[in-house]
Amino acid sequence: MVMGYLRRAYSSFAAHVFDVPPRLMAFLFLMILLLVPAAGLGPYYLSIMIYANVVAILAASWDLLVGRTGQISLGHAIFFGIGGYSSALLFKYYALSVWVAIPIALLIGSLAALVIGFPCLRVKGPYLALVTMAFPLIISNTVKWSPLVDIFGGEFGLRGFPGFFPFLPILQQRTAEYYFTLVLLFVSSVLMYKTANSKTGIVFMSILDDEMASKACGINVTRYKLLSFMISGLFGTLAGCVQANLLRVANPPMFELTISFLPIIVTFLGGIGTIYGPIVGAYIYALLDRYVLADLLPRLLRENFQVMSLPSGYDFAKLLVFTLIVLILVIKWPRGVSRFTTDKLEDLEEARDLDERGPRIWKTYKKKKSSTPA
Amino acid sequence: MLIEQIIVYGAISGGVYALLALGFTLIYGVSRVVNLAHGSFYMLAAYMFVFFGTFGFFGSDPMLASILALVLAVIFVGAVSSITYRLAIHPVIGDEVAVLVVTVSLAIIFQQLMLLWFGASFPRVSWPAGSVLLESTSILGVSVEYSLILAFVVSLVLFASLLVFITRTKIGKAMRAVSQDREVAMLMGINTDRLYMLTMVISAMLAALAGIFITASIEKFTGPWLWFKPLTLSFSIVILGGLGSIKGSLLGGFIIAFAEKTVTVMVPEGGAIVGVVPLAVIIAVLLVRPKGLFGKRIEMEE
Repeated sequence: MVMGYLRRAYSSFAAHVFDVPPRLMAFLFLMILLLVPAAGLGPYYLSIMIYANVVAILAASWDLLVGRTGQISLGHAIFFGIGGYSSALLFKYYALSVWVAIPIALLIGSLAALVIGFPCLRVKGPYLALVTMAFPLIISNTVKWSPLVDIFGGEFGLRGFPGFFPFLPILQQRTAEYYFTLVLLFVSSVLMYKTANSKTGIVFMSILDDEMASKACGINVTRYKLLSFMISGLFGTLAGCVQANLLRVANPPMFELTISFLPIIVTFLGGIGTIYGPIVGAYIYALLDRYVLADLLPRLLRENFQVMSLPSGYDFAKLLVFTLIVLILVIKWPRGVSRFTTDKLEDLEEARDLDERGPRIWKTYKKKKSSTPA
Repeated sequence: MLIEQIIVYGAISGGVYALLALGFTLIYGVSRVVNLAHGSFYMLAAYMFVFFGTFGFFGSDPMLASILALVLAVIFVGAVSSITYRLAIHPVIGDEVAVLVVTVSLAIIFQQLMLLWFGASFPRVSWPAGSVLLESTSILGVSVEYSLILAFVVSLVLFASLLVFITRTKIGKAMRAVSQDREVAMLMGINTDRLYMLTMVISAMLAALAGIFITASIEKFTGPWLWFKPLTLSFSIVILGGLGSIKGSLLGGFIIAFAEKTVTVMVPEGGAIVGVVPLAVIIAVLLVRPKGLFGKRIEMEE
C-alpha cells in the first residue's frame, strides 16, 4: 500500500524532472565540468578528472570505430602507445616543443592507423578482434627488445620531457592541464559526434548493419572502413600524446592489454554506439577506480574503524572488486548506463502521453523490461 | 645440431600447443564464444596442480600423488569453468563484444584471486623429484627429458580421442549440428544450453591438461600473470588454422611451434622477441588467406 504511493510519487516526480532535452543535459554536464576546479579540489582530485578526460577521448574514439562502424578492435592501445612514443621520440631527437609535437604525432598516428587498417580490412568479426589484439603486442615486444634499447628506452620507456605547463606551481599546473584536456575532450567529442551523425557516419552505420548491402548500394566499403580506422586512430593517438605528456613518460605498459580494454569497459559502462556514452562512462570509471576504491574507501576505513595500514592484499582486492563491478554491470545492463537512462526516459515519456497517472507508468515500464529477451 | 634442436623441440611444443588451442577452437566452433579466459584455465590448473600436490596423498609414492593432483586439478578447473559459464558467459551469449568484455573480466578476476591466494610470486611447478620423468634420453642427438616425451604423447592421444569423440559419438554429432545451425539443432531436440556448458567444460579441461603439462615439463614455473601468453598462443594458432577448425589447430600448433623455435635458435637475443613470432605469423598468413588455413572446409565451420 505504502509502496504503491511511494512508486506513484516517484514516477510522477521522475516524469517531470527527467523531462530535459538532451542538448540541455549535455550543456549542464559541460558547465559542471567547467566548474570543477572552482570547488577547491586538491591536485590529486584534479588529476583524477584529467585522467577521466583522457580516457573519455580514447573511449569515444573506440566507440566511433566499433560502436558505429562495427569493426571490433581489441587493440586500441596501439594508438595510445604510438601517440605517447611518437611525442616522446620527437622530443628526444628533435627537441620539439609539445605544441608542435602533438600535431606531428597525430599525423603519425593516423598514418599508422592506415597501415594497420590495411591487413585488418581483409578479416571480419572475431578474426578482426583477435588480429587487432596482436598489433600492440608486437609493438610492445619490439619496444622492449634489447637491441633497440637505445632508441625506445627498453622496459623503463622514455622520460624527461617537460610536459604541458612546466613553469606553473603544482595546483595551477593541474588546473591548466584540466582545462586543456577538457577543451580537447570537448572539441574531439564534438568532431566525432558530428562525424558519426554526418553523411559519412550514416555510411559507417550501414557497414555496421549490413556490409554486403552497403557494397551492393555502390559504397566503397574498404575506403570507409579505412577512414573510420583513421579517424579513430587519430583521436586515440591524441589521448596517448596527452597522457604521455601529463605523466612525462612513454613506456611499454601503454601498449598493454589493460589499456586496450579500458575503452571497451568504459564504453560498456556508458553505452555503446552513442559517442556521448563513453564520456559518461569514463567519468564513472575514473571516479570509481581512482576516487572511491583508491581514496574514499581507505580513508573511511582509517577514520571509522581505526585501520591504520591497509591489508597487504588491498591493491589486488581493489582491481578484483572493480572487475567484478564491471562484470555485473555488463551482464545486467548490456546496453550501458546512459542508454539505460535514455530508455527509461523514453518509456516515461511514452507512458505519460498515454496516461497521466503514476502507477500505470510504472506498470508499462515493468512490462517492457520483462518482455525484452535476456 | 641446430636444425635437430629445432625439429625435436618444435615437434614437442607443437603437440602441446595444439592441445592448448584445441579447447579454444572447440568452444568457438560450437557456441561462437571467443573465450579470452582460456589462458586463465591453463594458469589455474598449474596453480591447482601445485596446491593439490602439497597435500602429499599416497605419502610414500610421489608419482601417484602427482597423478592424483593432476586429476583433481583438471576436475577443479572443469567445475570452475562450468560455474563461470553459467553465471557470467551464458547471460551475454550471442553478443560478440559483451562476450569479449566478460571473458577478459573473468581472466582478470582469476588473476587477482590467485594474487590474493598465493601472493605475487612464481611458484615452481615440476614432476616429483627423482622420478623417471626427469631423466633424459637422446633423440637425433638432442637430449630430451622423458617428461617432454610424455607431454607430447599425452597431447597426441588426447587430440585423437577428441577427434573420435566429435566424429563418432552422439554428443559429438550434436556439437557438429549446433555449430552448423543452432536453430535447426534446437528444433531437432538438442539442448543447446547444456551442450554449450559441456563444451565449455571440455575446453577448459583441455586447457588445464595443456597447462599442467606445459608448466611442469617445459616452463617449470607458473604465476598469476601467466594466463596471457597461452592466450596469445592459442588465439594465434586458432586464427592460423581457421577458427572452429580442429585439424587447423593441430597444423597451426606445429607451424607456430617450429617458427618459435627457429627464432629462438637463429636470431640473436631471439628469446626476448619470441612472443612476437606467432603474432607476426598470423598477420602474414591472414594477408594471404583471410579465413586461416582451414577456414571454410572443415566440419565445424558454417
